[in-house]
Amino acid sequence: MAVITAPAEPVVRPVSRFRFVLDRRGVLGSIFIAPAILYVLLLVGVPFLLALYYSVSAYTLYDPSWRFVGLGNFEQIVRNPVFLETLGNTFLFTFGSQLLGLIMGKFGALLLLRPFPGRRIVRALIILPWVVPIALATIAWQWMFDSLYSVINWTLIAFGIVTRENAPNWLGTPSLAMLCIIIVNAWRFFPFAIVIFLAGITAVPQDVIDAATVDGAGFWRRNYQIILPMILPIVAIGLIFGIVFTFTDLSIVFLLTKGGPGEATSVLGFEGFQVGIVSGDVAQGAAISLFMLPVLLVVVIGMLRFIRRREI
Amino acid sequence: MRSGGNKKTRSVTRRDFLKTSGVVAGAAGLAPAISAPFVSRAMAQSKTLSIVQWSHFVPAYDTWFDKFAKDWGDKNHIAVTVDHISENDIAARAAAEASARAGHDIFGWNGGASGAHLYRKFLVNLTDLVESTAKKYGKPTVIGTQIGYDADTKTWSAFPDFYINYPAMYRKSMWDEIGMKPDTWDNVRIGGAKLKAKGHPVGISLGHSNDPNTTWRGVLWSYGGAVQDKDGKRIVLNSKESIEAVKFVAALYKEAMTSEVLSWDDSSNNRYLDSGVSSLILNPISAYRTAQQVNKKMADDIFVLKPPKGPAAQIMGAAAGFYGIWDFAKNKEGALEFLKYYADHWPEAFKASEGYNNPCFANIVPKPMPILSNDPTSNPPDKLSVLQTSDEWCAAPGYPGPATPAIDEIYNEFILCDMMSKTATGQASAEDSVKLATQLSEAIFKKWQQRT
Repeated sequence: MAVITAPAEPVVRPVSRFRFVLDRRGVLGSIFIAPAILYVLLLVGVPFLLALYYSVSAYTLYDPSWRFVGLGNFEQIVRNPVFLETLGNTFLFTFGSQLLGLIMGKFGALLLLRPFPGRRIVRALIILPWVVPIALATIAWQWMFDSLYSVINWTLIAFGIVTRENAPNWLGTPSLAMLCIIIVNAWRFFPFAIVIFLAGITAVPQDVIDAATVDGAGFWRRNYQIILPMILPIVAIGLIFGIVFTFTDLSIVFLLTKGGPGEATSVLGFEGFQVGIVSGDVAQGAAISLFMLPVLLVVVIGMLRFIRRREI
Repeated sequence: MRSGGNKKTRSVTRRDFLKTSGVVAGAAGLAPAISAPFVSRAMAQSKTLSIVQWSHFVPAYDTWFDKFAKDWGDKNHIAVTVDHISENDIAARAAAEASARAGHDIFGWNGGASGAHLYRKFLVNLTDLVESTAKKYGKPTVIGTQIGYDADTKTWSAFPDFYINYPAMYRKSMWDEIGMKPDTWDNVRIGGAKLKAKGHPVGISLGHSNDPNTTWRGVLWSYGGAVQDKDGKRIVLNSKESIEAVKFVAALYKEAMTSEVLSWDDSSNNRYLDSGVSSLILNPISAYRTAQQVNKKMADDIFVLKPPKGPAAQIMGAAAGFYGIWDFAKNKEGALEFLKYYADHWPEAFKASEGYNNPCFANIVPKPMPILSNDPTSNPPDKLSVLQTSDEWCAAPGYPGPATPAIDEIYNEFILCDMMSKTATGQASAEDSVKLATQLSEAIFKKWQQRT
């Protein structure tokens, strides 16, 4: 006789409440995002607050006290007769190099869109200026602009365009020195601009371009009245990155001109470093650096508003 | 209903992921605690001493110093590490170590400005060490006192190691041809103009770097001008003497130099001389040493003189090197012992630097000094002998007063270089350049007086 046994009762384990908490998407999402937020708070937020406090203190390496001095540091900076020149140089350097970088990026993207043998290799190589350490690249540029052994001057002389006596003194003439740092920064920025333009252009629907072509739009009209307005939001994002990085940059000036000749290429980042780190007046160095903040805020908010309007 | 039959699939659930990552994180966190007893036992076997200093312009010096430090460590059962960094990185590195209150035990400063006096609150008082060295080897030189001594507290915050002088180096055959010697600033201008016409200009940088900062200070002092007074309390730049010095530099630039000098860095004048173009530069002897390696015949034609004499004095700027011990150093006793030992062996350091490092104590290298009095690589062998007197004609920024943070900032802002170059290039009159430089210097002085 068969014995029918009752099926075993499933063992019910007590379930921890924590397990259900983790099953909630909101909670788990917050846990995952927490390290990133903590990272930003610790490495961006805390130094920023510290810089704010430094700028209203008398903190120096000579006397590391936290004595509050109000807006005294800012007052001293504004009274400096060469500060306005430094501020102007920073704008010129930033917007000049971004403009040049964007123009080079746009043409580079148009060239790289066309099929040609070795296009993939060229696309990979063109990114090099963006990834090469700026210290190395700037040293190479320094040799090209050198007053004694400039390869650019050597070429110009070889082609009979200039003579040895009237060859340009790239880093010794104020206007040319500014042009040099703009060129080096644009050279560094343009591969990024190419990538931005390529991403934007390839996202434009082909039927829109075809329709424009059928309607008789030529190369310039297609590019500047159809494609460019459509990709402006993505270009603006790239531009925000470029402006923020350039406005706060000191490496090119530090390595290439040390702010010279005179104060012709002195920019806020370099000046802040010289005063705050090299000379040890951390408080005034922080105050100089904070002059960038309102400018960058206005630029970034303005551009983000522009992007939002374009998207609507 | 889930399908899948016999095919076993394994996917990582959120819970699995959290469990695994929890275990990994826990293990990583516990690892140091588990290994600590073994690590500390190994560490306890020897003490350590860490030193950071510049990469010397004479590479053989670094080789000698590293071995010297290691040998001392071996004798004393201390593991010594020496890190060499670029001269340009010293200020930022020192600021970082002081701010973090962590880093090396001994910090070696080098360069024209931003020295130990800026960090005195982070440094061990080295008065005993300097005084005992002075007892053995004579008084510290002017430059040694400028860089290491704090007149307010009457203490030494740094051990003066060496200074680099800036003599005149000229092409003898070229200057003989015009029947002149560049021993005064007027002769440099007049003879330089003649030689420029023959394609051999004078080469002194008017850019932003240590060399022009040092050289043009020397010219200012030679004409009787100065940035500050003897006590370092007042800016005295706006003077008739300073204006004369600026006018002289403008004339020297126009008559004897070319516009190339406006963008030079510290290596440019070396290359200018070593390429055979320049008739005269003011520079440490590294330019001559390089010439010996690349063109012996030309090196034989390069002669060394004291810096040219001005209407008021024969004096030149110099760059100093000095050691400090951080007050947060892990091995302060070891650091102090090492510096004592180093001071007792300083003549070896002098030889290893091929005469590039000059002594900061009067008799630490007795005269006739090795190499400088008789250099077998030079023709004639006493070519460098004039450098033995360089303590008489060298001073650090701040002369005739002390080096202070305010003086450092004036140096780091290239205010004197710009004062000279603006008039030289016709952007401003000598009077206006001096006025602007005075205004900028006074603002820096006032700021630091409020800071201290």
